[in-house]
Amino acid sequence: MDSTRRTFLAQAAASLGLLYLSGLTPELLAQAHEHAKTAPRNLEGQPFRYFTAQQAADYEAFASQIIPTDETPGAKEANVVRFVDFALSEIEPQNKTDFANALKALNEQARKTAPQEASFAALTSAQQVETMKAMEKSGDFSILKNYTLIGFFGDPADGGNKDQIGWKLIGFEDKFYYAPPFGYYDAQAMKERA
Amino acid sequence: MSAIPQQRRYKLTDEVDFLIIGCGASGSVLARELSQSGLSVVALEQGPWLDRKQFTHDEYRVQAQSLLTNNPQKQPTTFRKTPKDKAVKQPAFVYGRMVGGGTVHFTANFWRFHEIDFIEASKKGTIPGTGFADWPITYADMEPYYTKAEWDLGVSGQAGVSPFDPPRSKPYPLPPLPVKSSGVLFEQAARKLGYHPFPAPMAVISQSYQGRLPCAHCGFCAGFGCEMGAKSSPLPSMIPQAVATGRCEIRPHSYVRKIELNAKGRAIGAVYIDQSGKENLQRAKAVIVSSNGAETPRLLLLSKSSQFPQGLANSSGLVGKYLMFNTFSIAGGTFEHPLNEYKSVEVTRILQDFYELDPKLGFYGGGGMDARFLWNPISFAVAGLPPQGPQWGSEYKKALQKNFTRSMYLAGHGTSLPLEDNSISLDDTVKDAWGLPAMRVTYKDHPDDLKTQHYFNDRAMEILEAAGAQERWKYPVEESTFAYHLLGTCRMGKDPKSSVIDADHRTHDVANLFLCDGSSFVTSGRGQPTETIQALAFRAADRITSLAKKGEV
Repeated sequence: MDSTRRTFLAQAAASLGLLYLSGLTPELLAQAHEHAKTAPRNLEGQPFRYFTAQQAADYEAFASQIIPTDETPGAKEANVVRFVDFALSEIEPQNKTDFANALKALNEQARKTAPQEASFAALTSAQQVETMKAMEKSGDFSILKNYTLIGFFGDPADGGNKDQIGWKLIGFEDKFYYAPPFGYYDAQAMKERA
Repeated sequence: MSAIPQQRRYKLTDEVDFLIIGCGASGSVLARELSQSGLSVVALEQGPWLDRKQFTHDEYRVQAQSLLTNNPQKQPTTFRKTPKDKAVKQPAFVYGRMVGGGTVHFTANFWRFHEIDFIEASKKGTIPGTGFADWPITYADMEPYYTKAEWDLGVSGQAGVSPFDPPRSKPYPLPPLPVKSSGVLFEQAARKLGYHPFPAPMAVISQSYQGRLPCAHCGFCAGFGCEMGAKSSPLPSMIPQAVATGRCEIRPHSYVRKIELNAKGRAIGAVYIDQSGKENLQRAKAVIVSSNGAETPRLLLLSKSSQFPQGLANSSGLVGKYLMFNTFSIAGGTFEHPLNEYKSVEVTRILQDFYELDPKLGFYGGGGMDARFLWNPISFAVAGLPPQGPQWGSEYKKALQKNFTRSMYLAGHGTSLPLEDNSISLDDTVKDAWGLPAMRVTYKDHPDDLKTQHYFNDRAMEILEAAGAQERWKYPVEESTFAYHLLGTCRMGKDPKSSVIDADHRTHDVANLFLCDGSSFVTSGRGQPTETIQALAFRAADRITSLAKKGEV
């Protein structure tokens, strides 16, 4: 049992009062969830399997415009590029060509914005935004954007969403069990009933 | 990945009483009911037999790897709007491809049909250009089986709250699941507007039931298998009970390509491709196809022979026709305080005030509405924000940050009219991974179905406003090109010329061939077909058992 799971089970046991009503006990919960959590995958420092260094730099620049690093961490810190490299190598190899074509389209658009620059990554931020706006309705843009979102908000078991950066941003926890009240309005209603 | 328990095994040459093709919502029920009646059963399932311990919350992987569903890479489909158009290769539907079927990953809305759903054509009159017709059975015929489905599978709900609820012989076996913030806001607003919201009937157990663990409110229902076994799919209920009879074998990874007939025109079994790619013929005294509203007609069309040149049991020419998807419309809203809708089941309150829309509106339609959350983190980022707002960059990121916990949605679930052109057929230009012709889906919504969706979205916007939503938006109403519900393609009826099966689910053409799943529907009902599919299966099992005991199969 890893420490995440132990913490999770301890939390579950601590706040189980209401759930006893439904017949759940900490022991039963522990059995049910023993299997369901998988450890985060850390791919940092490993050689890329799908990306060339140039492609990785271009895609990281793109992903950082989709979910920028500002007051909170962004796509770069969440290891989105690492996730995509893993996903296209292991999970969806059938999408390799579409993804490569989409990156190519990004660079072609980048050359229209700034003909003197070698690739998208070399553009200024303003030029990158201009490039992306020019193609944001295209299927190529959707492919590139959706992989950023999956890498940022997906299960850390697949190599992105490092330290649950994406989940922390939006207030999601994957705790596997919750007791009511779940939100503000049902808590209010519960108080009124009591 | 498989978790096959000890079970009775039959040889291919064993002529079992019933061969069931498809082990999902209806096939699992039939397997359990027939084997408990003392009949021998082999149930073939094209997908794997997974254990709840194999389910995860990995939102990306479950979808990208089609862990619970048909795989568009291996099972391509083509789509066109009308028979005049050229069909284009694209995913056209998703269905459960595993023991337990689509009920393993469904949202678990579990609504009975009402009386009107079976007799609409005679009450409202026929609609020109459509196959709008009465069912050969009524709500009264179905009521005992709705009750049986709710008690045998395990359904949480509260009877007697909705004035629109059809009559029932027993309450729900389990109390409703705890209300979420979406349910509270929806209920308050709907009451303010004079509607009658009530606790959603859900096939998720709110308390321990029949040795199963209750819901832990993890929030991963729609699209996922339940690691608690609290979702009342047949996987934790019907399947182990069927196996326990010692008369039923569930055979996963068995992809049926043809039902075989003898010279007298009786079914003798089915040919399936096993996991190793080998073809086998399983013998049986009778065959029941429960492969869903897309795969059932496809198998009949694939099973054409000199006796049935246009497809097995297709003398009517209607196999695959009158496909219905159900309509689905969505409006969203954001609120001042966190709702945390990512927790627990998707839906806790619904209303059925719009079940039958006033004909004075100028179109046919009706349905139910629920308050829900539709997303997990990835899908929320893709589609959960208002479509008119920023879709990338810092402002987008801030909107995600603010609204993931503060959004809820009102979904309208409505009627689809049966149209003959809307259909499942074979596309000989595209093959699946087993070399069989792919499915071609032809579908164009009737204009009334689109009007129904607009009506629902307009009411949803009013309810969201009454609930105090800060931002409110409708998702666009568009003609369907992708389906979750697959209905009507082997319709039930009295007349062999205008239907494929009779009220006992027996095909008009082959005495020992039965069909039972969403394909049996005559009209679409109001958006939540699963309980009716399963109640039909409980009823069909009774009918078929009685025929078998009388020697009439």
